[in-house]
Amino acid sequence: MKRVLEGSHAVAEAVRLANVQVVSAYPITPQTHIVEIISDYCAKGKMNAKFIPVESEHSCLAALVGAQSAGVRTFTATSSQGLALMHEILHWVSAARLPIVMVDVNRALGPGWNIWTDQTDSLSQRDTGWIQLYCEDGQEVLDTTLQAFRLAERVNLPVMVVLDAFFLSHTYEPVDVPEQKEVDRFLPSYSPRFNLDTRNPYTLSPLVTPAFYMEMRHDMALAMDEAMTCFAEIEEEYAALFNRRYGSVEAVTCDDAEIILVTSGTITSTTRLLLEELRAKGEKVGLLKMKMFRPFPVEAVCRALGRAKKVAVIDRNFSFGAGGVFAQEIKAALYKLPVRPTVFGYIAGLGGRDVTTDILEEIYIKTRETDLPSQESIWIGLQEVKYAN
Amino acid sequence: MNTPTMNLKPLFMPRTHETTEGNKTGSWRYLRPRYEDKTSPCSTACPAGEDIARIEMLSAQGFFKEAWETILRENPLPGVCGRVCFHPCEGVCNREGFDSSLAIHTIERHLADTAARNDLKPALEKLASQPQKIAIIGSGPAGLSASWFFTMLGYACDIYEALSEAGGILRWGIPEYRLPAPVLRTEIGRIESQGIRIFTGKHISESELNKLRGNYSTVFMGCGYSRSTPLGVSGETSESVKDGLEFLRSVRQGEKPSCQGLSAVIGGGNTAVDVARTVIRLGGKAAILYRRRRQDMPAFAEEIAMAMEEGVALHELLAPGAIEAQGDQYKLILRKMKIEGQDKDGRGRIVPDGDKTSEVTVERIFTATGADVAEPWYNPPSDKSGAITLSHCQIKFDKEGIPLVYGGDLTNVTKNVTQAIASGKQAAMAIDTYFQQGRDAIESRLASCRVGDGLSLSMEVYMQGARRLRSSHIVQPEEINTDYFQFEARVVQPRLLVEERTGSFNEIDMRISANLAIREASRCFNCGLCNQCDNCYIFCPDVAVIRGRNMEDRHINFDYCKGCGLCAAECPRNAVTLEREGL
Amino acid sequence: MQIDAYDREYMCSGHVGCAGCGATIAMRLFMKAMGEKTIMVLPACCWSVIAGPYPQSAMKIPVIHTAFETGGATASGVRAALDMKGDTETSVVTWAGDGGTFDIGFQSLSGAVERNEDFIYVCYDNEAYMNTGIQRSSSTPYGAWTTTTPGQDWKRLRKKNIVEVLVAHRIPYVATANIAFPEDLIRKAQKAKSIKGSKFLHIFASCPTGWRIPSEMSVKIARMAVQTNIFPLYEVEDGIHYTINHKPKEYLVREYFKLQGRFRHLTDKDLDQIQTMVDEDWGLLLKKAGERS
Repeated sequence: MKRVLEGSHAVAEAVRLANVQVVSAYPITPQTHIVEIISDYCAKGKMNAKFIPVESEHSCLAALVGAQSAGVRTFTATSSQGLALMHEILHWVSAARLPIVMVDVNRALGPGWNIWTDQTDSLSQRDTGWIQLYCEDGQEVLDTTLQAFRLAERVNLPVMVVLDAFFLSHTYEPVDVPEQKEVDRFLPSYSPRFNLDTRNPYTLSPLVTPAFYMEMRHDMALAMDEAMTCFAEIEEEYAALFNRRYGSVEAVTCDDAEIILVTSGTITSTTRLLLEELRAKGEKVGLLKMKMFRPFPVEAVCRALGRAKKVAVIDRNFSFGAGGVFAQEIKAALYKLPVRPTVFGYIAGLGGRDVTTDILEEIYIKTRETDLPSQESIWIGLQEVKYAN
Repeated sequence: MNTPTMNLKPLFMPRTHETTEGNKTGSWRYLRPRYEDKTSPCSTACPAGEDIARIEMLSAQGFFKEAWETILRENPLPGVCGRVCFHPCEGVCNREGFDSSLAIHTIERHLADTAARNDLKPALEKLASQPQKIAIIGSGPAGLSASWFFTMLGYACDIYEALSEAGGILRWGIPEYRLPAPVLRTEIGRIESQGIRIFTGKHISESELNKLRGNYSTVFMGCGYSRSTPLGVSGETSESVKDGLEFLRSVRQGEKPSCQGLSAVIGGGNTAVDVARTVIRLGGKAAILYRRRRQDMPAFAEEIAMAMEEGVALHELLAPGAIEAQGDQYKLILRKMKIEGQDKDGRGRIVPDGDKTSEVTVERIFTATGADVAEPWYNPPSDKSGAITLSHCQIKFDKEGIPLVYGGDLTNVTKNVTQAIASGKQAAMAIDTYFQQGRDAIESRLASCRVGDGLSLSMEVYMQGARRLRSSHIVQPEEINTDYFQFEARVVQPRLLVEERTGSFNEIDMRISANLAIREASRCFNCGLCNQCDNCYIFCPDVAVIRGRNMEDRHINFDYCKGCGLCAAECPRNAVTLEREGL
Repeated sequence: MQIDAYDREYMCSGHVGCAGCGATIAMRLFMKAMGEKTIMVLPACCWSVIAGPYPQSAMKIPVIHTAFETGGATASGVRAALDMKGDTETSVVTWAGDGGTFDIGFQSLSGAVERNEDFIYVCYDNEAYMNTGIQRSSSTPYGAWTTTTPGQDWKRLRKKNIVEVLVAHRIPYVATANIAFPEDLIRKAQKAKSIKGSKFLHIFASCPTGWRIPSEMSVKIARMAVQTNIFPLYEVEDGIHYTINHKPKEYLVREYFKLQGRFRHLTDKDLDQIQTMVDEDWGLLLKKAGERS
């Protein structure tokens, strides 16, 4: 049934449908709408789940470590500083092989205080062993959240579903909310592969000496690899039931494109508009939407970008001293190709600044008109600043 | 549709599937604990070598019969000793420095009385019968003890007693109010029930002794000191000066000699006090005249105190000088004495205080300054050649090698009931060793049965009982973990009122209840003896103290024991020993 | 003592606790009271190591190791999951050291007990970061040497009164316990088990390594902490009802201090000052319990 929902609400609906049993959360703008609705669902019995109103994000994820280890499906959502505070436990969750699903609403990190969208919060958690899936619209948010539970529980790694602050979290769109019965066919109730059980006692996450540590980490690496194929399988199953699929990446008119714009999140939707305009003008341009960031879809990226002359990666994030994170990862992915397109890295829209079609067009033209990028990262739309004395 | 757990690769993750028991942490250890029962100071101070720490442990647990049997292994006369022994055990009790010593004799008496009241039969170990027969002359504590232990070791014994009833000093010397005849009869009855024959009214002369030696493999001489030594002053006659022991004997034989007026009792020992208190009970007045001071008196302090409560007068530093008859009365001239320096035994040395004298006129005079044999030949011969002299007896061999043993008062340095019991026990052990292993083995065999480092011997050890495993180390007060004990008052011995005492010969000390006995026994530190308190088990950080099915079964699992020493430190009673590993 | 009812054993031999470790005695006794229907949360502490390296576990119950500052939170999650599964029989226990309780884990603990989560939080207190090598914590007592309060720079600040802090949360049950008083400890654990809501047990657990005492002294020292009023045994119900369980005889604190290497540097004057502080604390406790000294 189609409903007009906020992006946050789409998350909440997915969590309700996923039969999550324990939710813990700590409020942070712009995540609050998600957990307010879930809290309300728990209170009203629309969800048979326990909501733990913890005193910090750190405790929030730690509580889920306890709950998931005790054998139930869990969920939380956070943003920015909250995610940064969780950092230690992000590592803990993945190495403890707990299939926790979390939504991160991309928000800039302070200082200065900034509540608007920016991907640096989630991307700086790229080495924590979490699968990361970036969403473009409300429907994708709902679908991806449901898929995330399947994927996490299949490979025993946690999944972070990522959406832009306000542009997606607080934006109303029509969303097809599936029936519980159908969702149950896709996502049966949780059956843990291990859990704290007094009838079969063992210890979880003990001291591990050098004799075993590497093998455990290697097992996580294999699981992360496996996530790539599993994701495709799960998407197929989902598509069979709900007739929607997204892919780890989405390539739009890339086959004959000379220049391909690479985007993620809501910038993608804006880029789609530009793409139509440019194609109408006869420009050989394509779009590659990055949905999956971890595991990084190297094959799909190479397939989509391999024949282009130039690639313009638009990063709403920045890794200081290195550049835009997507750009770096794409460059690294393309390295295995014998003939590689030239990669242009653009930084745009940090801290919630609008990335309009004009800005995207500027990027396209800059890329078309230049043989090689003038800099490792080209910052778009920088204004004159007035320095304090 | 696939369920999420189908066809999944196993996870290699931090999740355990073994216990830590694979780590043999015993390899860390450099100190090694060991369960080792040790010797309590009381047991080594007891001339009979009673296993007091164990007796109290069993009593505290309510195992009265077992506790009583534990006494009987070392002492056939608990009913007697619980009453008249001067309990040196209590003097060395480690609890003394904590609050006050344990009332060991009170519990001993309680156990004996309980056994008597319930007509209990002891279940004691007895060795296989031996062909040798033993004759015992005298049925006092030494003779009774010798017969008891000879019987335990498998020998048939006959006791020859001159008087009409067995018991010697116990029957005829100690007053009824301290040791009632029925108590003694119960004890002797139990001894007889072991198969010992007692021939009473059978005085043995020197010539009869030689005849006996032909019929028995050994004769034990336990005739005791039954005659008071004379004063040796002018005017001393059988009329003027009565033998204190003789007086006590006549009273116990049922006579009621007239004691009107004031009687002087010369001496400072228990006999002097017994005589004085008996005089009071017969309606007379009594004054004890002693050449030293009250604190120097060999009599038990408590007996002296009770005597004075009962009206006995005590005059110190007076030595008899001469006696003059004055009609029906006697004038006793006394030399005044004073203290000057110290004697070897630590008591004040007395010397005459110049020529100072005093006089007292009395109806009669009792001597109780010491005792001696009734017939001179009772004494062991002064020719010690070929004899074996032990701490509590002397063994003389005739030409055929037949031993004649002198024991009890005849040989004991300290002459009292419990030392006499020790003598009988030593004689039995020595003669058994002589028969089984020859005379050269006696000394070492006896030495191996010593309780701690003292002279007391243990028959249980001699008979290879569990007590032989006990270490001879005597537990010192600082080795007790007093954190596990609370201050608790010593049981107060209930007694007859003074008025009740002086009017009759009824026993003064009354029974205590079983509850009280258990409470008192629970005060015992049980020095050196595991009483299954389980501190070692409770506090072991390594779960290395293993308890077996049997309550007393505990052992240490050295696979895991790290040698932290907590079991030894937290043992309240030093029953765990800690040693360097590899020693 | 006879604790025949507690023959059951939930801790294994072969753990790697130091010889004479008080924390292992605490665990062993506590678990005797708790029984098999217990799930334990172990934030970083000595016990993270003692419990054994993979693939071993020193515990015969389910245990989950978790990050240092998450004792309260992780237990909240375990409890929530059990509740969702309809398991109200199993007790959830957080077993944390003093660092994980007084310091880094304090927020998580406070959060969990404010929510009155139904679990038992046990702090076994060895008065410093022992696992990392004897660094001071806010539980380290006045006067103590640690590797971060070295030499003449020994700790000149009071130990945080964690029990009163927990009492201020008005939770159903707060109690102190001590490894040298096993019956009291077991009784309190059983009581905590029988109460719904948040329970806090503060167990004094000596550390031979960090306190510079011989291993065989660890129980004696712990006992002396009670005997000297340094660590009184008491319990508080609903944040209001105080019961003092043990009224010791007046032992002087110097007896306790002089046996431990960590206090070796203290002068008589220092000890007098500490005695005053201990007396003052005891007086305050008596007042709260409505008792006279």
